[in-house]
Amino acid sequence: MLAGAVAVAGIAACSPEEGAGTSGEPVEIEFWGWVPGLEDLVAQWNEENPDVQVAFHRMTGDDGQKVEAAVDAGAGPDLVQLSTHNLPDYVIAERVQDITDYVADDESNYTPASWASVSFDGRVFGVPQGIGPAATMYRHDIFAEHGIEFPTTWTEYLDAARALQEADEDLYIANLSPSEMGQWLQEIQQAEGSWYGIADDAWTVGVDDEGSQLVAERWQTLLDEGLVTTEPMWTPEYWSLVNNGSIASITYAAWFPSILAENASGLAGQWSIAPMPTNEGSTNGGDSGGAAVVVLANAEQPAAAAEFASWLNGSDDTQEALITVGGLFPSTQNGLASPALLQENEFYGGQVINEVFIEAAENTPATWVEGPNFGFIQTTILDEFARVVNGDQTFAEALDVTQEAAVADLENRGLEVAAP
Amino acid sequence: MSTSTATGSRRRRHGAVSPWAPYLFVAPFVVLFLLFLVAPIVVAFVNSLFSRQSSGLGFGGSSIEFVGLANFVRAFADRDFLVGFPRVLLYGAVQVPVMMTIAAFFALLFDTALVKARRFFQFTVFLPYAVPSVIAALLWGFLYQPSVSPVLQFFESIGITLSPLASTVVLWSIANVALWSLVGINMIILFSALQSVPREMYEAARIDGAGEVRTALQIKLPMIAPAVLLTTLSSIIGTLQLFNEPQVLQTITSNIPSDYTPNMAIYATSTLGKDPHLASAMAVILGLATLVVSLLVLAANKRTTNRAGHGL
Repeated sequence: MLAGAVAVAGIAACSPEEGAGTSGEPVEIEFWGWVPGLEDLVAQWNEENPDVQVAFHRMTGDDGQKVEAAVDAGAGPDLVQLSTHNLPDYVIAERVQDITDYVADDESNYTPASWASVSFDGRVFGVPQGIGPAATMYRHDIFAEHGIEFPTTWTEYLDAARALQEADEDLYIANLSPSEMGQWLQEIQQAEGSWYGIADDAWTVGVDDEGSQLVAERWQTLLDEGLVTTEPMWTPEYWSLVNNGSIASITYAAWFPSILAENASGLAGQWSIAPMPTNEGSTNGGDSGGAAVVVLANAEQPAAAAEFASWLNGSDDTQEALITVGGLFPSTQNGLASPALLQENEFYGGQVINEVFIEAAENTPATWVEGPNFGFIQTTILDEFARVVNGDQTFAEALDVTQEAAVADLENRGLEVAAP
Repeated sequence: MSTSTATGSRRRRHGAVSPWAPYLFVAPFVVLFLLFLVAPIVVAFVNSLFSRQSSGLGFGGSSIEFVGLANFVRAFADRDFLVGFPRVLLYGAVQVPVMMTIAAFFALLFDTALVKARRFFQFTVFLPYAVPSVIAALLWGFLYQPSVSPVLQFFESIGITLSPLASTVVLWSIANVALWSLVGINMIILFSALQSVPREMYEAARIDGAGEVRTALQIKLPMIAPAVLLTTLSSIIGTLQLFNEPQVLQTITSNIPSDYTPNMAIYATSTLGKDPHLASAMAVILGLATLVVSLLVLAANKRTTNRAGHGL
């Protein structure tokens, strides 16, 4: 009798594998994510797919760290939204499922760079959910007041920074946040650098590669000459500096404009968006990284979970909501073609801001490679950056320290590391 | 069989207890103690002897391998982790005496007949303890940021520029948050101890000509020495575990790195660095350090009480 019960349970567990909707009980999927408006999209899916019901949990605070412990303990949700920077670690620790078989047909709908960010060793481990091309938000009123054109190259940027300081000693061209990695990464990508690479079946580490050193030199000059503030981003102090007009420009990803509008609502109409300044002799744009929805190791219905993830991020039904409500910059062809992308934005004086981000996305070089232990490098480099901001060392020294620590850490994990 | 039942019931009737009763009453404690204190320590120690190892690019999966004391060697080679220990010890060496002095001062003050509206003042001193330390750090975080702090702006207006988040003073800004939160609870413990001192002793002291201050220092304080020791010891242990306040303030200043205190370093290693095995080794080291410091404090205390005993 016991054996019979087990057999029945076995069959019950297997049958929905055939794909959603074969029979009986609806499949239940638990999904964790952070993009605004996901609740409505999940409700729409649940209504249209009675056989696959999705339960949504909005991620806050340290939920991302909970996921890892939960998966390792054999629990956790079925689907989770994840920064693609962290995906290699998840793959190596076997926390995500290979979903190549379920989503391979969708490849042509995604931008090549975003698809590459979820693929390792020819297998696909997630569905891309937005990318982060960079542009500069700047106070056109302040630049106009001092008769300064917004710079198009980093050389002009330095001159503009000096001119702003000269005009008003409380005026800084930007804030250099020692606690925010994305702004560093977008300039590394623009300079065609990469923290990781693969050479002859071994990892290479490029924290202090040529591109990184170029960026380090630029920030060192801005810092040494006192042309930037150094508040950690997202703090009340930071927003206070933005709102009182001390910070004249912010260079960040496509999801930042809506956050700026929210936190500096009193400055509506005074901001414009321009392409991120370029390096001499190059038209490259930059990108700070995107996100993906992945099927976690313990998901019992990977087919249904992957099907929902594909619908959520790739279908024609969802693109407009992801762009307008979610504030995502699409990683899909149908999203990039969506008219929702080209809406005028009132906070930015009626500018069609995404035109700038589309151009940045098109000009971002595909040189960045994701690799293991992004979290370790990030923690180390941010601790070192704090010392730079305090004047205890230079950016170049911070990069050297981090490079060495990163190689040692990878080797401690038994991974093959080649000399760069 | 019937005889034994009869004996049993008679014994119960006479108020005699089964020899197992005490163990039964202690059992819940023992179970919880084993489950939530001993078991985690054992798990942490076992974890610290292993490491997750991959090979090549790592995409072929990974395995947990026995590495002996390698994680301990790595932990002791991590300068930033080790630097956290003298930092929290320095913090404790200043914060604990200051806190205990203030707590004892308030306890003695509220114990005198001179204070009016004693309940109200006690409540005021105790209230910050009701605020969770994370919330306390968030509140103080606002007061520490020049553009949003009314306190700093007031000082600025009278020509004094304070920067509580500067690298040289940030440790004491953290101590201030802990002080504000914890003085109240220690004050209450000491005050309760004072209530159990027989009142006749004060009368005797007064007849002998001792004033309020002399009574406080020479009678009351020595009488509550065990309570002082208990609160001091738990404060020192709390010092070594310092985490919430610096972790919260880290988000608003670049002067607190992710490995500022040993506990923060362990957290960073396990969650951000994704190496729970190395973090377990660090946790075992922190646990041992806490044990050693506690024993040293107890030993020092024993010596001073012995000496005091002989002196009398």
